Amino acid sequence: MSEVQRKKYSDKEKNQIFDREFMPHIDSMYNFAYRLTFDEDDAKDLVQDTYLKAYRFINSFEQGTNAKAWLFRILKNSFINDYRKKSKQPAKVDYQDVETYYNSDDVDYTSTTDLRVDAVKDMLGDEISNALNSLAVDFRTVIILCDLEGFTYEEMAKILDIPIGTVRSRLHRARNLLKEKLRSYAQTMGYNTDEEE
Amino acid sequence: MDYNLSSAGEKKTNCAEQSKCFQLLESILDGENIPEADRILKEKLEKCEPCYRHFHLEMAIKELLKTKCCHQITPQDLLENIRKKVQEIK
Repeated sequence: MSEVQRKKYSDKEKNQIFDREFMPHIDSMYNFAYRLTFDEDDAKDLVQDTYLKAYRFINSFEQGTNAKAWLFRILKNSFINDYRKKSKQPAKVDYQDVETYYNSDDVDYTSTTDLRVDAVKDMLGDEISNALNSLAVDFRTVIILCDLEGFTYEEMAKILDIPIGTVRSRLHRARNLLKEKLRSYAQTMGYNTDEEE
Repeated sequence: MDYNLSSAGEKKTNCAEQSKCFQLLESILDGENIPEADRILKEKLEKCEPCYRHFHLEMAIKELLKTKCCHQITPQDLLENIRKKVQEIK
C-alpha cells in the first residue's frame, strides 16, 4: 500500500535535518516573526519556540518536503495559540470580521487605480514597510508569505489552514488595502493621485 | 471561458469584471500555474487599460516589498540560544 510508515530519525539524522533544512530559514522566520509582533524580544521568543517545537516534532517532518513551509506553519500556529493569548495587547480586528466586510465584490477600485507606478517606484523603504505593518494581521500575513517569501498559493493554504480560493481572495483584498495606504503616502509626497486620464 | 475581451482591438477604459480579472492577473504575477497564462496576459494588457495599469502597479509594489521589507537582521544571540536549548532537549 502507499501508506508510508513514519520513520524515526537517529540523533545524527535529526541534527543533520535541523542544521541543513531548518536553520537556513532563520532569517525569513525572524522577519516573519518581527512583522507579526513588531517587537524584537517577542520575535526572538516566537522563533526560538518554533525551532524548539520543530526539533521536538522532527519525526513528523518528512525529508524531501518543504521545510520552510513546515516551519512557517508552526510559527503561525505558535503566534495564534501562544503569543496572541498571552499578549496584553488589545485584541486586533478579527480577520473573520474584516473578511466578511471585504468579501463583497464591491471593492472600490476607483480610489486605488489612480495610484501611479512612478509614485510607487519613488517610495523609500519606510513607506512600504509602514503600509504593510498597518494592515490587520491576517492581511499582512498573506502578503508576507506571497510577496516577501514567495510561497505558492497551495503552500499558503497549508500554512494558514484555509482553502486556496480564500488565499487568492484574501491576498487580493490585502493588496487593495495596501494600495490605499500607499496612495495616502503618494499624496503626501506630492503626487497628484486624483488626476484623471 | 469569457475573459471579457474587447473585439474592437482598442484598449477598453473600463473593465466589466475588475475583481475577477485583477485576481487572475495577480495569480499570473504570483507565478501560479494558470492555463494559457501568456496568451491571457498578452490579450488583457493589450486590450484593457485598467488591467494594464493594475498589472504594472502590482508588479511595482511586489518588487518594492521584496527589496525593502526582507532585511530584518536576525539577532546573533537568537541563533546561539536556539542551539543551546536544542542541546538541552537532546
